[in-house]
Amino acid sequence: MNPRPDHSQLVAPDDGIARGDVLLDVRNVSLSFGGVKAITDISLNVLKGEIRAIIGPNGAGKTSMLNVINGFYTPQVGTIIFRRKERCSMKPHEAVGQGIARTFQNVALFKGMSTLDNIMAGRSVMMKRNIGWQMLWRGPALKEEIEHREKVEEIIDFLEIQHIRRTPVGKLPYGLQKRVELGRALAMEPSLLLLDEPMAGMNLEEKEDMSRFILDVNQQRGTTIALIEHDMGVVMDLSDRVVVLDYGKKIADGPPDEVKNNQDVIDAYLGVPH
Amino acid sequence: MFYRTAGQFKTTYQADHALFPVRQDAVLLGIVLILAFVVFPLTASEFAFRALLIPVLIYSLAALGLNVLTGYAGQLSLGTGAFMGVGAYACYKLISIFPEMNIVVALALSGFFSATVGVIFGLPSLRIKGFYLAIATLAAQFFLVWLFQKWAWLYNYNASGAIQVPNIDFFGITVAGPRAPAIVQYYFVLCIVCLLTFFIINITRGRIGRMWKAVRDMDIAAELVGINLMKTKLLAFFVSSYVVGIAGALFVFLWRGAAEANLFDIPLSFRVLFIAIIGGLGSVLGNFLGAILIVALPVVISSVPEAFGLPLSSATVEHLNIMIIGALIIAFLIVEPHGLARFWAVIREKLILWPFPH
Repeated sequence: MNPRPDHSQLVAPDDGIARGDVLLDVRNVSLSFGGVKAITDISLNVLKGEIRAIIGPNGAGKTSMLNVINGFYTPQVGTIIFRRKERCSMKPHEAVGQGIARTFQNVALFKGMSTLDNIMAGRSVMMKRNIGWQMLWRGPALKEEIEHREKVEEIIDFLEIQHIRRTPVGKLPYGLQKRVELGRALAMEPSLLLLDEPMAGMNLEEKEDMSRFILDVNQQRGTTIALIEHDMGVVMDLSDRVVVLDYGKKIADGPPDEVKNNQDVIDAYLGVPH
Repeated sequence: MFYRTAGQFKTTYQADHALFPVRQDAVLLGIVLILAFVVFPLTASEFAFRALLIPVLIYSLAALGLNVLTGYAGQLSLGTGAFMGVGAYACYKLISIFPEMNIVVALALSGFFSATVGVIFGLPSLRIKGFYLAIATLAAQFFLVWLFQKWAWLYNYNASGAIQVPNIDFFGITVAGPRAPAIVQYYFVLCIVCLLTFFIINITRGRIGRMWKAVRDMDIAAELVGINLMKTKLLAFFVSSYVVGIAGALFVFLWRGAAEANLFDIPLSFRVLFIAIIGGLGSVLGNFLGAILIVALPVVISSVPEAFGLPLSSATVEHLNIMIIGALIIAFLIVEPHGLARFWAVIREKLILWPFPH
């Protein structure tokens, strides 16, 4: 196989936080829907430049945790500090402005648009030309469009999806759709990338591809990644640190090897009466 | 064979972003424009201008405006007729208050009135979706038509309650009113429609078009890529109502010559919606194909049997027309929800590959 092209020119934006410092700090967060407690008093942090995995049995509160991080839910208790700034309640599109991008458990692409347009849509926020220039399609608007197209083509090249550039994403197989969704998140040039089960429903080969992309994104672009995944082999190999949730509570946090041998984790996965 | 794209290479992104990356498309559009600007005016009769060419253009423009909202941004609207009315009444008031005003300026300004009204009635779209939004726009339809009837200031306190277009000159040539020649009106409408279509094509293929389509396809995901749903939806209402309003002003000033409030009632809204659906939601070309079909159908039904010596009564023509259009709409919704524009896309794809099947 040919060596993969170097994409090191694609770097995550500099946010003034050194590698290894705390990028996101979630402190004592609780979230409940009526009487149902989704998350109870969880604290966790994500360090700049690492791959952080969140695992746990079904219904443990993993996706709720991601939704809290990107502003989709506002927790009743607790604080979230992102890039050294404490965050009050905000709309999801404001979280994007701060540099958080995510993918979904069920693919959430724009089905009627082509791969290229989907990834370009990820850059909407960065494009500023107003409707007056847009309707003329000349001068600044065209220049901006082409600048962003070049960035998007780098991402398309990186994810090896050149051949489906013009295909409506609704017609693509599931594995490729997941890849396009990753591309759209990357187009937003996030400093924190949230991946909700990036490998769900994939076969072994697709999983290997996706793992490679995640590692490359992390190493070449320096993007910090928080991911949810059920495939333990993948999680243990990819991630730097793992946090384990069960019934909305944190039961373990640490490097993969430590977590693997933690008795609470083994109980949660094998099932022990609570 | 005629549509072969082989050998047309793009070496820059600029070339790839051209309006027609495929050369044959540009040639085809050139032919259509020559037909529209040269051949039709030379050959068409007064009847053809008034019954076919001008209404096709105006309905295309109205459908284009609706398509921005429904086809691109995914917000169903049943108030098109009323928004056309706002454009028409605004233009009428501007012309009667400032008789010296240039008609093009009056048209452009009247678009802003309908756009503002469109944004106001678009506010519910921030909370409700789909059929419920359609009902909210239906409220606009009934309210505005009621307003056109009851607010006598709008029609200058005429006894008839109708608005009557005066003779209006545009740089010395009469373009509207009883004295205006049909060929001048045709050229006037054609230029405006071409210009607005060009603008809409550019808007829909750039950033704003992608944001609209993103909101249409999955609004939650759109929000999570940083798109502000409120601004995007209201912008769609603004642009859509602007175009629809200008179409409404042209409808009265350059075609009908006079209008009563009930002209803008719900049948007009449905007519424009049918054109957009039959033509193809989410396409610019479709509006023109749909308008040609809807406007030409009654003319064809009445003139073709006559040519074969079987004249039909006008009532029969109307009934046949309603039945055929009804059947067509049902057929399109089942067979090809993307309308005539998709038919053309399929034909074009086949032509590019021809004589090979894949």
